[in-house]
Amino acid sequence: MKKAFLALTTASLLLGSVAAFAAGTHPATGENLADDQTFTYRLLDQFPTIDPQLIEETAGSHVADQLFEGLTTQNAQGEIAPGVAVEWTSTDNQNWTFKLRDNATWSNGDPVTAHDFVYAWQRAADPATASPYGWYVEITQIVNAAEILAGEKDPTELGVTAVDDQTLEVSLTQPLPYFPKMTAFATLYPAHKTTIETHGADWTKSENILGNGAYTLKSLSLNEGFELTKSSSYWNADSVIIENVRGLIINDSNQALTRYEANEFDLLEPLPPGQFPALKEKYPDQAVSVPRLCSYYYAINQRGDALGPIQDVRVRKALSYAVDRDVIVNQVLKGGQSPAFSFTHVATAGFETPEIEFGTWSQAERDAKAKELLAEARADGVEVDGLNLDLIYNTSESHKQIATVISQMWKQKLGVEATLSNMEWQTYLDFRREGNFDIARSAWCADYNEASTFLDLVTTTHGSNSGKFSNAEVDALMKESKTLADPQPNYTKVEEILANEMGIIPIYHYANTFLLDSSIKGFPFENAENTWYVKDFYRVAE
Amino acid sequence: MLSFTIRRLFVAIPTLLILIVFSFLLMEAAPGSPFATERGVPPDVLANLEARYGLDQPLWTRMGIYIWNIVTGFDFGPSFIFKDRTVNDVIAQGFPVTLTYGFWSFAVAVLIGGGLGILAAVYHNTWLDYLAVGISVGAQVLPNFVMAPILVIVFTLWLGWLPGGGWQGGQWQYIIMPVIALSTSYMASIARLTRSSMLEVLNSNFIRTARAKGLPMRRVIFVHALKPALLPVISYLGPAFVGMITGSVVVDVFFSTGGIGQFFVNSALNRDYSMIMGITILTGALTIFFNLAVDVLYAWIDPKIRY
Repeated sequence: MKKAFLALTTASLLLGSVAAFAAGTHPATGENLADDQTFTYRLLDQFPTIDPQLIEETAGSHVADQLFEGLTTQNAQGEIAPGVAVEWTSTDNQNWTFKLRDNATWSNGDPVTAHDFVYAWQRAADPATASPYGWYVEITQIVNAAEILAGEKDPTELGVTAVDDQTLEVSLTQPLPYFPKMTAFATLYPAHKTTIETHGADWTKSENILGNGAYTLKSLSLNEGFELTKSSSYWNADSVIIENVRGLIINDSNQALTRYEANEFDLLEPLPPGQFPALKEKYPDQAVSVPRLCSYYYAINQRGDALGPIQDVRVRKALSYAVDRDVIVNQVLKGGQSPAFSFTHVATAGFETPEIEFGTWSQAERDAKAKELLAEARADGVEVDGLNLDLIYNTSESHKQIATVISQMWKQKLGVEATLSNMEWQTYLDFRREGNFDIARSAWCADYNEASTFLDLVTTTHGSNSGKFSNAEVDALMKESKTLADPQPNYTKVEEILANEMGIIPIYHYANTFLLDSSIKGFPFENAENTWYVKDFYRVAE
Repeated sequence: MLSFTIRRLFVAIPTLLILIVFSFLLMEAAPGSPFATERGVPPDVLANLEARYGLDQPLWTRMGIYIWNIVTGFDFGPSFIFKDRTVNDVIAQGFPVTLTYGFWSFAVAVLIGGGLGILAAVYHNTWLDYLAVGISVGAQVLPNFVMAPILVIVFTLWLGWLPGGGWQGGQWQYIIMPVIALSTSYMASIARLTRSSMLEVLNSNFIRTARAKGLPMRRVIFVHALKPALLPVISYLGPAFVGMITGSVVVDVFFSTGGIGQFFVNSALNRDYSMIMGITILTGALTIFFNLAVDVLYAWIDPKIRY
C-alpha cells in the first residue's frame, strides 16, 4: 500500500513537472519561460496623454503602441508588418486599398472596422480636436488633410473611405510609396467612436478606455506609474507571452540606475549622461547602444534681420568646420553616437548617406580650411572680428557641455566668441520661433523611417526650420522626391546643397543607450525608430 | 478669541484674491505658451486650443471667470497638459499622497526633534547634550536631495528591505523613505529650537521656584517648563507643517510618489496655467489656515497673549 502510494506520488510529480515544462517553454525557440511574465520599465517623465490622436511625444506613444494597433505595424527590424490590415495594394502609390482582418476586436469585443480608422483619421485632422500632431495627417498627403487642418474644409471630406467593414480606401494628393509604413504611427491608430463620444476627454481614463491592442490599461497614477494587462480579446492573444506591463516614472537618472541595480525593473532608458562606457564594462550583457533616428544640429539664424556675418556662407562653413565632432561624440557623450556631417540619420531605412566632402577631411584640414574661409570673409569686408554669437539651448546637462565645448572650439580656432544662454523648454521654443538667437541648439527625430522626415525640415516653409534656411533648389528637389520611385538622388543632392550652403551645422546622430535585463528576450534592437511592442517580448527562466 | 478668528478668516479672503491676481499676472508675464511645440501648431489648431482653455479672452475676463468658477463650484478648470485630467483630479490624486507623508514627517520631526531638544537641555553639557546636538547638526547638513539617493542605495539596493519608490496607494513600505528624507532637516531645526528655548526656560525664576519646592524633575519639565519652552517652536511648526503637507519636489522626484510638489514645479515649467493657479491657491490657503491655527494655539499656551 505504502509502495503503491509512493509510486503514485512520484508519477504524479513527474507528470506535473512535465506539464509545467510544456506550459513554460517558448513555442518557437523552446526556451524555458519564467513563471512571472511581467515586464517593467522606467519612464523619465509623465506623458501628458495616451489618446493616440493627441500624442506628441515618445513616452506616450510607447504606451499607445501596446494599447492600440494600426493598419500596419513594425517587425523587429523596423520593417513594415501586417497589423489590423492583412494586405494593402496600390497600382500608382497614390490610391491605396487596405484589407482588414475580420477577427480584430476592441477590448469590449466590438469588431475593429474600417469605419474606426475613418473616424480616427478625421478626428486627428479636425481642428476641433486641436491635436498638436494634426500635421502628421497632412504629411501623409491624404486628400484634403491640409485644407481640413486649415479649417477650410469639413473633416468628413478627408480622402479616406470605408468601402465596407473590412476595406479601407485612401486617396493621396500625390504618390507616396511609403504611405502604408506611416500608418503604423499612433496618430493613425483607430478610435472607438462611441467611447470617445460618451466620455469626451475622459475616455482615456483607465475605467473608460477601449483599445484594440495586445494590452489594456489597468491603472494609471500620474508621476508614479501605470499598469497594463494582457488583453484576451486581441486577435493574436495566443502568441502574447508577457502578461503584465508596468511603467515606473522615475525622473532622476541616478535614482533610476540604483533601482535598476536593485532589480526593480527590466529596462532603463535613457542612461545617465556619460555613464555608458562604465556601465558597459559593469554589465556587458545588459548595456546596449543602438542608433536612434534623431539628428543633433545647430540652427543658424538666416532671417533677413539676423546678424550680418553669419549670412555669409564662408563664416557659416568656418563655424561648422571648426567643430570637432569626434571630441563631442567620444569625450562628451560617450554613448555610441556618430559624428554628423549630413543631416539625415545614417541608420534611416533605404537611405544611403552621401559622402560629404568636409566629412572626409581630417579635423586638422577642417580647422585650416575654417581659418582660411574666415580670413577670406574678413578680406571681403565681412565683420568677423569681435564676432559674438548668441547661442541658445534648452536646459540640460549635455546640451550645456556640448555648447561649452563648441564655443571653446570657436574661440580657440577662429577667435569667435559665443554667449551661451540656457533657457527652460517653453521659453527656448519661444525664442527659437521668434528668431531671437544667432545659433540655436536643435534636434530632429524621425516621424517615420524615411529620409524625407529629416530633409523636409530644411525646406523653406517647414514649421521647424527655425533658422529659416531657404534654398529654392532644395524646395524643388524635395517636392519632386515625393513623386519618384527612387528619391535617393534627390536626397543626395539636398544633403550636398545643405553642406555647400551650410544651412545648418550638423553635429551628431543619436544613439539610444539603455540597460535591458538579460532575461527579457525578443527586444527589437535593430529597430532604428526604437519602436517596441511588449507582445513580442518574453521572459526566460533564470 | 472667536472674534479674532473670524476677523482673521475674513482677512484671508482678500489675501487669497491678491495671491490669485498676482500669480495670474506673473504667469502671464512669463514667456512661452502651454501649447508651444517643437514643430509649431497650425494657426487654426492653436485658435481652437486657445478657445478651449479660454485663452482667447482678455486677461481680466479670464481672471474673473476663473475666480467665479472657484467661488461658485470649487472648479479649478482642466489641466492644460494632462488631457484627461482636471486640476481638481490632479489635486485629488496628489494631495492625499503629500498629506500622508507630510503628516508622518511632521509627527516624526516633532517627536524626535522635540525629544532630542528636551534631552539636550535637561542634560546640558553632558554627553547626551553633545550627542543630541551632534545628531541635529548632522541631520541639518544632510539636505533631502542627498539623503534620498543614500536611503535608496542602503534600503533598496544593499538591504533589499524597501521598494525604491512609488506609492501603491500609500502602503507603509512606500512611506518610510519619503518620511525619513523629508523629516530629517525639520527634525534638526526643531531639536535646536527646543533645546535653546528649553535652556532659557529652565534658567528662569519660576522653574527655580518649582525645583526649590521640591517638585520632581519630571513634573518640573513636563508640567511647568515644556509649555513656555514650546512657544518659539510652535511659531516655526505652522509654516513647517504647511511646507511638509504641500509637498516636496525632492521627495516626489526621488521617490516617484505622485505627490503634489512635483506637479507644482512641472506645471510652472510646462506653463500649465490652471495647474499653477490651482496649486498656488491650495498652498496659499493652507498657509493662511495653519498660520491662523498657530496663532490660536499660541493664545492657548501663553495666557499673556491677548488678541
